[in-house]
Parts: sequence; structure tokens; C-alpha cells
Amino acid sequence: MNKVANRVSVGKGIIASLIRGSCTSISPDVFELLKKARDRESFAESASIMDCMIDNVKAAGEAWKPVCQSPGYPVVYVRFGENADLSNIPGDFREELVSATKEGLLRPSIVHPLTRKNPGDNSGVNVPNFEFQFEPGRRDLEIIVSFKGCGAELGNVFKTMTTAELKKDYSGLKKLVLSAVAEAGGKPCPPTGIGVGIGGQMDQAARLSREAISTRNWSDINPDPMLADLEAELLEKINALGLGAAGIGGDTYCLALKIGMASTHTAICPVAINFHCWVARRSGIRILEDGRTEIILGKEV
Amino acid sequence: MSTYNMTVPIKEEDVRKLKTGDIVFLSGRVNTSRDMGHMKIQSMLSNNETLPFEPDGGVIFHAGPVVVKDDGQWKMSVIGPTTSIRMEPYAEMVGSMGVRMIIGKGGMADGSLKAYNQYGQVYLQAPPGCAVILGSYVKKIENVQWFELGMPEALWEFEVENFGPLIVTMDSHMGSRYKDLKEKSYSLINSWYS
Repeated sequence: MNKVANRVSVGKGIIASLIRGSCTSISPDVFELLKKARDRESFAESASIMDCMIDNVKAAGEAWKPVCQSPGYPVVYVRFGENADLSNIPGDFREELVSATKEGLLRPSIVHPLTRKNPGDNSGVNVPNFEFQFEPGRRDLEIIVSFKGCGAELGNVFKTMTTAELKKDYSGLKKLVLSAVAEAGGKPCPPTGIGVGIGGQMDQAARLSREAISTRNWSDINPDPMLADLEAELLEKINALGLGAAGIGGDTYCLALKIGMASTHTAICPVAINFHCWVARRSGIRILEDGRTEIILGKEV
Repeated sequence: MSTYNMTVPIKEEDVRKLKTGDIVFLSGRVNTSRDMGHMKIQSMLSNNETLPFEPDGGVIFHAGPVVVKDDGQWKMSVIGPTTSIRMEPYAEMVGSMGVRMIIGKGGMADGSLKAYNQYGQVYLQAPPGCAVILGSYVKKIENVQWFELGMPEALWEFEVENFGPLIVTMDSHMGSRYKDLKEKSYSLINSWYS
């Protein structure tokens, strides 16, 4: 095989499908967790809210309409190796976001940060947010599109903790996460997902927190046993606060808590807490060297 | 806990009957307003200008819809609540305008609770992220103002029929579900960690 035949790239048709599939559905892993939470729910109001959510997902799929009126903020994760051709990705994503907006699948929601002027088509400076992640030796190409609700962003918290604040049993970190939940309450459209980024510098912790909850399967188990335990403990404690769906009281406030980690400097422990609404609109595809594709997140497109 | 079917315009005495936990199904005229709309209303009121809609007895829905143009007419595609706390700085203004109901998600803070008590208002929690279902209760878009602010921020006026279920989560008697749950959360957190 020559070098050119081994190159991997993503076509505009796939990009178009990923965008449209994402905003009209929620990823199946999250939908399953939502349905299980509904079955377990002992508070009538919270259960009725989740019934409405489940009906809404079905209605959106049948009517080919946006699940939620707000498309949130588009992020594109690209994981690639030396053989990837990414040259069309920025342009094609920008064009398809505008096209999907014109079709009524995405509300025009992107504005200038200071003037608040809305161009009306979801175009804008540095939109979408691309994360190009180079992994040496990788032979396939993974693309994940995520539309992350921005009411949820209002609950986000960042703190550069110190060793003393973190405490030996990490209770400082746990209290920070739980306090963020108490403050966020119903604002991030619970039942939520919560990403926690620990370590690195400020921007790394923030990116890890978003990536963890935006790109991981909400039912997976962290391969790091220590982090897996911490994820489970925090999830249990968050739900024990009793905030429930919509934050009006109930058994399930959080469907999944995912931690991303980077080593940090001995002087600091940056911690970012990132809320994700229940409307987990995201799709991911893996493109193999031979051109075959595999769905890694979301439904078949 | 009671269920009410109510029609806009809403009377103060009817709002004062509502208590946290009650369910409301709403019919009649609803106006959307959010960040930019509230800011512009504030500026118009301070200049003694007339607002382009009737707030008295009305309902403000913290929301920005997806609308599509069909035969020159705006049609509702989907609509759902946005996070209300952003409009908290305008609590007193909205109360003094005679608005009786605020629909949104996530609740508001003490300034709003005080205004609800003083002016006779309630906060209604809509099911969040359920835009297709909620949009199906919108019968007709009557009007749009300030479209130059963008589709989400424009003031949309429309008719709804049996819009709900909306849960009363903040009432005119200083009751707030959000406040109660937040206090309960902190007492649990503080009991777990010293």
C-alpha cells in the first residue's frame, strides 16, 4: 500500500449527518440512564418531569426537530495520527452549522461576546470550538460533535486549590463539587452529567472537565480505580442531596460524574467542575484506514 | 397540592391562591423575554417610553424559541425555558410592571421572592429541555418585537392552550422550593464534611 492510500479523512456528508443527528436526539447511553432514573424515582414531580423528557426525545426524533430550543455551544473533538487529512474540517463544520441553522435545526444562538450582536446563522469567531488532539501512531480518525447546553455552563466552577485545601482525604475537593451542585440547583437542567477536571493548569482542568462529560459514555467505568471510586462516591453524594430532576426535589440530580486528570505542579491543584444538561446531544464516528466507519457515540447517522 | 387551569390576563387574587407544589395549565397570551429584552425594557421604562406589549396581568416566559418562516408567517417549531437566574436583577421592575407569572427553569433568588410577595406573582417551573412538547401547546405566534436582537432575544408574543404542566416552585407567600432545597443541601454537606 502506498502512503496516500492510507490517509484518513472525513467527508462533508458525514459532518452534515453528525451535526443534524446530534441536535435532534440525545445519545443512547444517556437516554438509557434517564429511563432507569425515571423507573427508580420516588418523587412524583421529578418522575413527571422525566416522563416529559422521555416523551420529548421521542417526539423530536419523530418530528425531526431540535430536542431543545437551545443548541448550546458546538464543540468538535478530533483525534488523529500522522496519516490524517484534516484540511477540510474547519471549513466544512462552519458551513454545515450555518446550513443546519437555516434548516431550523439549530437556533441562531452565537453572539459577539461584548456587543451581543447575533449574526443569525451560528457563525462567529472561533466557532465551533475545535479540539484537535494529535496522538502519534494513531491510524484511524475520530470525530465527536457535542452541543453543550449553556444554562448548564452557568453552574460551572473553577478553583485553584492548595494541598491544605484539598486535604488528605480529598474532602476539600468533594465539598467543592457538592457546593457547586447546591449552588447550581435547577439551573443546569438536571438530571445532569458533571465533568470534573483535576490537575494541570487552569485551562487544562477546564478542558478535561468538559471533555470527560462530553465525550465519555455516561455508563463507562473509569479505568483508573482510584478515579472510578471517586466518581462513584461523588455521584452517590450528589444524588443524596435530594435535588432531583429540574432541581425541584427528587432522587436523581446527576446521571453521571466523570473525572479527567492531568498531573500538576506541586504548588497547586486546579479543579474545574463542568455541568452538562440532560439533553446530551452528541455524535461520534471513527473512520478507519480502509474507509469503513464505526459509531462511537450517539445513534447511527 | 392543587391543579389549576388559568387564562391570561391573570388576576392578583388568583395568583395569591397559588402555593408551592401546585400545578398550573395556562391558556392565552404569553410573552417571552430574556437578557436583552429585560435590559431594553428597563431602558424604555427609564425613558418613560411605552412598552410594545401589555405586561399587566401577563406572563413572561424566560425562553427563546426556534421559529421558522412559512408563507411569510412565523411558525413555532420548538420552545422551552431558559435559566431564569440571569433575569434576577430585574425582579423589582418585572413586579412593578404588573406581570403575574414568570415561567422559566432553575428558579430565582431572594429579590424575586420579595417582589412576588409584594406585587402578587408566582414562578412556574417548566419541564427543562422539553422544547418539542412545550412547543406543541403554542397555537399561534401573534407578534414579534426587537427581532434585531436575534431570534432568542426577541420578544415573542403567542397564544398557548393548556400549556403545562407548570409547577409552582416560588409563590407570593415567600415559599421557594429552590431555597428550601439549597438550605437542605448545605446542611447535609456540612454534616458530611467539617
